Amino acid sequence: MTALEFSLFSPLGLAVASPALIALGVWCYRWLHRSAPGVKLRRSLALAVKSLWLHKLRAFLSVLGIIIGTSSVISLMAFGEGSMQDALDDIKRQGATNIIVRSVKPPDDSATAQKTWVTTYGLTRRDLERFETLGDSIVRMVPLRIFPSEARYLERFVNARVIGTTPEYADIHQFDLAGGRFLTEADDRDRKNVCVVGSEAADKLFPFEDPLGRSILVRGSEFTVVGVIRDRMPTGGTGGSQAAEEFNRDIYIPLHTSVARFGEVISVRTSGSRMNEKVQYNQVTITVSDIDKVRPVGDAIKELLEQGHGAKKDWAVTIPLDKLEEAERAKKRFTRLLVMIASISLVVGGIGIMNIMLATVTERTREIGIRRALGAKQRDITLQFLVEAVVQTTVGGLCGVVLGLAMVFVVPVVWDLIAEEPLPAKIHVPSIFLSVAVSIGVGVLFGWYPARRAARLDPIEALRHD
Amino acid sequence: MPAIVRVVDLVKNYYMGTQTVNVLKGLNLAFDEGDFVALMGPSGSGKSTLLNILGCLDRPTSGSYFLGEVNVARMTDDELSEVRSTYLGFIFQSYNLLPQYTVVENIELPLLYQGITPDEATKQWCVALARMVGLGERLDHKPLQLSGGQQQRVAIARSLVNNPQLILGDEPTGNLDTRTSIEIMQMLRELNKAGKTIIMVTHENDIAAWARRVVRLRDGRVESDTRNDTRTIVELR
Repeated sequence: MTALEFSLFSPLGLAVASPALIALGVWCYRWLHRSAPGVKLRRSLALAVKSLWLHKLRAFLSVLGIIIGTSSVISLMAFGEGSMQDALDDIKRQGATNIIVRSVKPPDDSATAQKTWVTTYGLTRRDLERFETLGDSIVRMVPLRIFPSEARYLERFVNARVIGTTPEYADIHQFDLAGGRFLTEADDRDRKNVCVVGSEAADKLFPFEDPLGRSILVRGSEFTVVGVIRDRMPTGGTGGSQAAEEFNRDIYIPLHTSVARFGEVISVRTSGSRMNEKVQYNQVTITVSDIDKVRPVGDAIKELLEQGHGAKKDWAVTIPLDKLEEAERAKKRFTRLLVMIASISLVVGGIGIMNIMLATVTERTREIGIRRALGAKQRDITLQFLVEAVVQTTVGGLCGVVLGLAMVFVVPVVWDLIAEEPLPAKIHVPSIFLSVAVSIGVGVLFGWYPARRAARLDPIEALRHD
Repeated sequence: MPAIVRVVDLVKNYYMGTQTVNVLKGLNLAFDEGDFVALMGPSGSGKSTLLNILGCLDRPTSGSYFLGEVNVARMTDDELSEVRSTYLGFIFQSYNLLPQYTVVENIELPLLYQGITPDEATKQWCVALARMVGLGERLDHKPLQLSGGQQQRVAIARSLVNNPQLILGDEPTGNLDTRTSIEIMQMLRELNKAGKTIIMVTHENDIAAWARRVVRLRDGRVESDTRNDTRTIVELR
């Protein structure tokens, strides 16, 4: 992100907001204590708690708005954060410094197909050579050659995805081996007939045996299993052109072996019709040295592909970083929306507080008169009522936090029972601090007017009040 | 004896819309330290207004009010609060205790606004005052659990807690029966004998008779200013 965006939730926002809040607090404190020692605040606190305790139900009802406001902010933030985190993790799994270039079958390619009965499209070795010219900014390129095929062992078979790739595949994808090893440079160089199988494929083909060292049959060629990959999380389809991917039925073989054994043209039989495709690489994953170079390199690659392929749009470039930022933007928008909803509910809560405080002031006019006659300054009265309002909203805010956190734990359980799908939740810590701070602020803001009104009462009038 | 309270050309006007009401029309009065004064007069004579000004709850429209050496007539609201807190004690007709506080807490109240941290010593002082007014057994009672006379005695104890130079009473016996009124007046008499200056508003001659000096107001002016002779006071007792 080039422009620095101001958000209360960003570290910058907090860095700006907290000194401002502290300064406001200090100013209020100084204003109230221009000539009195600080013990007054503690005493006012005791006083406020005492008078609120006299009207417990009223105090509770008046802060209900604040409680609901804070708890909904905290729980909604947690659920929003949880859902967003899911999406973000998914994108991160694809790698933020990666650029994924894929071959795309052009929609209207009848010309080539009719002449040769073979559809030729996609990325070629020449493309990869062109990419090499981009130099140091590219750390590695991992080409994939993918076709679906049946794999057999004895009488058992599995519909697998056969993926020809290089050993560097292991560097760009996160997975664990359940046993054996991944492909090596030597496998690729020597075009060895070895393979690494995904967990589901391994389970189907070798329910009873140890797969390592056994041979499976793929399109008439035998491959020795050298490694088994542990169960992998599928990547979700995160919009755009990136489809969801399931890895557990994959069979990985060396790229050169794939070309040598199966040739350049791959026939795929689909329910009676036969499709011949000539695709050199189905996908190339390019890793860039630095996250700042992802975008320029991506642009350069697009340009190279446009030059090389001309009008034939048989490629697509996906940049996970774009999606990551898109998701983060969506998250930010969501956060802002929540803050708005929260502010509305907190303002409503604040009005509730103000209403009750005004009623309290009227009700306690006599008390105000007595206190004034006995030597209370306007400031003492202001402090008394302001502290009362702030104690209410602060306690309300804290209750809201507790309620909100309880909701974060309870709602997913209920959700699971009703909607039968998990509701991811991740507690958003800044939202807790922020909502409590805002509750306190609401107390100051909406308590100020009633408190000043109480303080400005004429002591004589107030003493006469019934 | 030096005058503790002196008002010079004291004028107070109230503005009601376009109408100006002349309540005090240039009062000149001086009260000595240790005096016991009863302010009398029919309603509308300005006695309550004068008491409010003497009590620093109100400011005169013009003229001066010297409390000791200081002219408090032009003080700010905060300064007046400080004067009330430091130099004055109030006793009201309707007692004006805070119902949610106990006897001791009510007596302690004026100290809170002097910036004093309540501790064991202030507590002892308040308890001593409660004992002095005969409420040693009811320290933790709330005002509503007390009779009118007892409440007024709490109020007297409260008016003494800050060691005031001047005690102001606004019809202190107005809500009490005759017997209780006498008890309260005896208490004020004792305080006066101990050196406290007391100024009280009353419209009952019986009560005014307890004072050393009676000032009668009419239409914002002093109508009469007499001294009760000591013998009458004794007889009345």
